[in-house]
Amino acid sequence: MDLELSVDQIELRDNIRNVLEGSCTRGFVRGVYEGTCDADHLWKQMVELYWPALAVPEVHGGLGLSFVEVALLSEELGRATAPGPLLATTSQFTPMLVEAGAGDMLTQVAEGARTGSLAVAEAGRWSRVPRTSVATRTSDSWTLTGTKTDVLSGATVDSFVVTAVDGASGNVGAFLVDASDAQITPTAGLEPTLELADVAFAASDAAAIIAPASDSGPRIERALEQAEVAMAFNTVGACRRIFEETLDYAKVRVQYDHVIGSYQALKHRFANMYLAVERATAVCYFAAIAIAEDDPGRSEAVHIAKIAAGDCQRLVAGDGLQLHGGIGFTWEHDLHFLLKRAKAGELLCGGSAAHRAALAELLDLRHARSATVMVREVAS
Amino acid sequence: MKLKFDDSVEEFRVEFIAWLEENRPSKDEMEAAPARSSASSPPWARAWAKRLFDAGWLVPGWPPERGGRNAGALETLVYLEELSRSGVPRTTNPQGLGIVAPSLFDFGNPAQIEQYAMPLLRGELTACLGMSEPDAGSDLAALKTRAVIDGDRIILNGQKVWTSGAHDADFCFMFCRTDVDVPKHKGISIVLVPMNAPGITPRPLKEIVHPDFPDLNEVFVDDVDVPLTNLVGDLNNGWRMANASLGHERSMVWLMGVLGIEAAMRDLIELVPTLLDELSPHERAIAVDDIVDLHVDMVTAKCLGYRGFARYVKTGSAPEQSLMKLYASEVRQRLMLTAAELVGPSSLALSEGIGESVGSMEGYFATFAGTISAGSSEIQRNIIAEKILGLPR
Repeated sequence: MDLELSVDQIELRDNIRNVLEGSCTRGFVRGVYEGTCDADHLWKQMVELYWPALAVPEVHGGLGLSFVEVALLSEELGRATAPGPLLATTSQFTPMLVEAGAGDMLTQVAEGARTGSLAVAEAGRWSRVPRTSVATRTSDSWTLTGTKTDVLSGATVDSFVVTAVDGASGNVGAFLVDASDAQITPTAGLEPTLELADVAFAASDAAAIIAPASDSGPRIERALEQAEVAMAFNTVGACRRIFEETLDYAKVRVQYDHVIGSYQALKHRFANMYLAVERATAVCYFAAIAIAEDDPGRSEAVHIAKIAAGDCQRLVAGDGLQLHGGIGFTWEHDLHFLLKRAKAGELLCGGSAAHRAALAELLDLRHARSATVMVREVAS
Repeated sequence: MKLKFDDSVEEFRVEFIAWLEENRPSKDEMEAAPARSSASSPPWARAWAKRLFDAGWLVPGWPPERGGRNAGALETLVYLEELSRSGVPRTTNPQGLGIVAPSLFDFGNPAQIEQYAMPLLRGELTACLGMSEPDAGSDLAALKTRAVIDGDRIILNGQKVWTSGAHDADFCFMFCRTDVDVPKHKGISIVLVPMNAPGITPRPLKEIVHPDFPDLNEVFVDDVDVPLTNLVGDLNNGWRMANASLGHERSMVWLMGVLGIEAAMRDLIELVPTLLDELSPHERAIAVDDIVDLHVDMVTAKCLGYRGFARYVKTGSAPEQSLMKLYASEVRQRLMLTAAELVGPSSLALSEGIGESVGSMEGYFATFAGTISAGSSEIQRNIIAEKILGLPR
């Protein structure tokens, strides 16, 4: 098991980071928060750099890179608290289109001509099986009814892929709906750069890109797993930067004639934060590679990645704010952009508790003998 | 990045598994005469060390004449995985094999290698490591045990403490002060001291777990006289050698820690189905949450450890070492506590012999050996903060 990045992957990550440090500055993010900037120019630059094409297969005009590269991009977008539809388009929309084999749509994504997102959560719960959204077959297509919440970049994307249950068969399907056919309510709130929205469909025209069938559930889940791990990376990206900035601050802030980072009480907290960040990073890489290699242990790895990212943000966002002291509590200081991204990342794509419960189910602890043998075999 | 090993590495695994099944000491054999300390060597352990050595499976990365087969790092990793899975200890004298022997290969002279290092590998001798003293624990360089050179002899006086296996070891790899007039790091040397030398008195310290099988010792050193040829490496170079010696151990220790957690988790999962059925639904939910957390800790430890290992293979060093020591020992402690609490009052039963079984409170207490020794968790946090994160002392 080799969980280190390759030279090419490191180069890609560094390139992304450099571009974002130049274009997605703190001043720019502040402008988005305060309503004086929008993300259009940044998006155009991302398209010029072929970032939306990253994971689109080469046959459809993309770069054909693996999920690992998508994960790295997601991490950097979190680190930069970047606004705009790229995270949703690359880590949510594209994986589902690839799973569905939706070639034309993928070509548009690669060209930067179409953005999209997944509409999955209902009543605030990211669920792999929709509970209230219903698809109905018409003579030549489908219509879709239901309300989805907390859609990433829901306020700005061109299209949604919506999970819904076929009222007739009870099977789940994935449906493409144009944003103009949906009723969109932005819910930006505390974290405006994620452009969250609730999206309602009232007999909207829908194309079944993964038609409801007995085997459609697992195909949809595979795309959802990518969204979940990408969100874990996004969270960890924000957390690592909180950690770094808090550490930098502790090296210069002087109290009682010493920099505060020289006090052992703080040193131990920094060691714990570092552990939390490294722990989450290592397991996120593990999940990314499990997805990229389509390993049989991928579902387990996905849950653990989201859980570890959750543990990480709990500690790092809290301690990061606490150790900055009063200055970090001011609107004027930039720290809060990262804190809010980290918290949002925990809540989106299933929180830690949901993923813990799912992992418990997967491990099947009451009949654990067979399950652990299985996990062991997967691990070896 | 990749999850699977190359075919050649998997072939290596298969070869080792086959050899292991053929040559391992049986469970009955091991249980009938357990190693009572970390320098004790019951007959089965001696024979096992010899078989490992002769077959080149003792330290696969070393050359055949030192009990290896020039294997690469990944091969060593799968070797350790399979050994851990088998439940057979690699050695009953971990300090001897992991620290003393490699240090002698690095710094010892040919006679010392012949007389001390090679017998350690073949299981003919065991060694203990004389580092800590009453006033030199985490601050090792403060050690005071005095070694005075008198012609072609060295005369030693002082006291060691927390010396694992001293009462069973054949010799001690002893750190002592040879110059009192220089900064404390610069006056330390290493001397090989036979444990049967007149003036050496190990006094075993009963521990809070299995007190009939003490491992730790006080070692009193009164006018002990050894030949000057027992000096290891250069005079007053002991601190540098200490760091190198411990480096040998650290390069693999995180993996051993991780593999140990995996094995303990397997044991816990074996217990779980029966235990859960006894619980009310709410209590069961709480227990399941605890177990899921431990499972997450186990997998994350494995990912951290393997990531550090990959970095070590590529670059020859990995900053993860302190991190892994800290994390693996604390995860193990959490796991053993959760298991014992889950088992309930019957976890208070005393274990037969010196097993540290999952689900026993004694096993939980035993994990403090991991969080206190070899740099306590608090010291590890200081090291991480200062050496890795660059916070000022």
